[in-house]
Amino acid sequence: MSNPRFSLEEFNTLFPDKFASREEMLKEYNAFLLVLEQLDQAPVPELSMRRRAEIFRRSWPAQSQRSTWTWSPLAFWKRPAVTFALGLALGCALMLGITKAQPQPPHPIPVEETFAVERTQHMETYSGKVLQELYPKIENPTMVVEKTQESSPPRRVLHGTLDNGKIQVLWNL
Amino acid sequence: MDADDAISDGALIDAARQGDGDAAACLYHRHIDRVHRICYRIVLDRSQVADCVQEVWFKVFRSLGRFQCDNSFTTWLNSVAANTAIDYYRKWKRNGRHVGIEDVSAERLPAEAPVDGRQLDNAAMQRRIHEALQEITVNQRTAFVLRYFEQMSPSEIAKVLGCREGTVRTHIQRCLLALRARLTDKAITRGAVK
Repeated sequence: MSNPRFSLEEFNTLFPDKFASREEMLKEYNAFLLVLEQLDQAPVPELSMRRRAEIFRRSWPAQSQRSTWTWSPLAFWKRPAVTFALGLALGCALMLGITKAQPQPPHPIPVEETFAVERTQHMETYSGKVLQELYPKIENPTMVVEKTQESSPPRRVLHGTLDNGKIQVLWNL
Repeated sequence: MDADDAISDGALIDAARQGDGDAAACLYHRHIDRVHRICYRIVLDRSQVADCVQEVWFKVFRSLGRFQCDNSFTTWLNSVAANTAIDYYRKWKRNGRHVGIEDVSAERLPAEAPVDGRQLDNAAMQRRIHEALQEITVNQRTAFVLRYFEQMSPSEIAKVLGCREGTVRTHIQRCLLALRARLTDKAITRGAVK
């Protein structure tokens, strides 16, 4: 007894050195052949013709099938990666447009460049570009506002130099 | 010989790639029975097998462009069918819709056929085959199905399952032992089946 689908050689490969004698091995082999024979008799339920046709109709969508293999502009844009990249590019362009459309604030000039104040208990010293623009002829002008007494009015004195520092200016305002 | 049979699988595949529905239908009808057999023996449920077969053909028709005609279409198709059926079975089982052994009972099977002694024996045998095949893992079952029903070599099966040939042999061995344990019971003898 033999089965071309399950040869004795294959049986030996699957169950090597499992049997004490050749007779025992052949007995086991025949038992397995009976198992396979029973399996062959177990029918597989058939698919009806209607079901077969339905499966083919559902799995062979001819229109989309053609577009898979033949390039077309529409098919190109329908690809997920292309759509994603396109969406990303559009989003970036939109954001760029929005941010450019907003009015840009004028470049702020740092306060310390235009005006600086040093305060002590009775004295305030002002310096910076504002004073330079007010007194262009005086170099490094600083204005000192001080009170000699608590009740006295503040005295304003402009300090500076002329002629490259040769002349010191003290000007009571 | 049918005129359609004279056309090789390769020629049908080439035509199907160009969108020829008739060639695709011819290819489909030529191989549908084998795909159905593989799916049924792996999924083990009549109510699910048609959906599984449909998934297989859906994949096949969309992957024809990648199939290389130098290789055997049958081997490639068996591979797609087996892997799709394995995935289908696992997904179905995970979703808790798996029919248990008791649902494929001998009480249910004879109702589909005339009740006589032989039909009862066949029903009981079917149930035992079902039980044996459900006892083992889906990979073990697939290895056995591809080896003994589809005549694929252990090396081809190893490629399908992504494992070594030794593992395939172990799968087949376990499946055979499970089947033998169920089918060589006294209740089902060779004489009773015949």
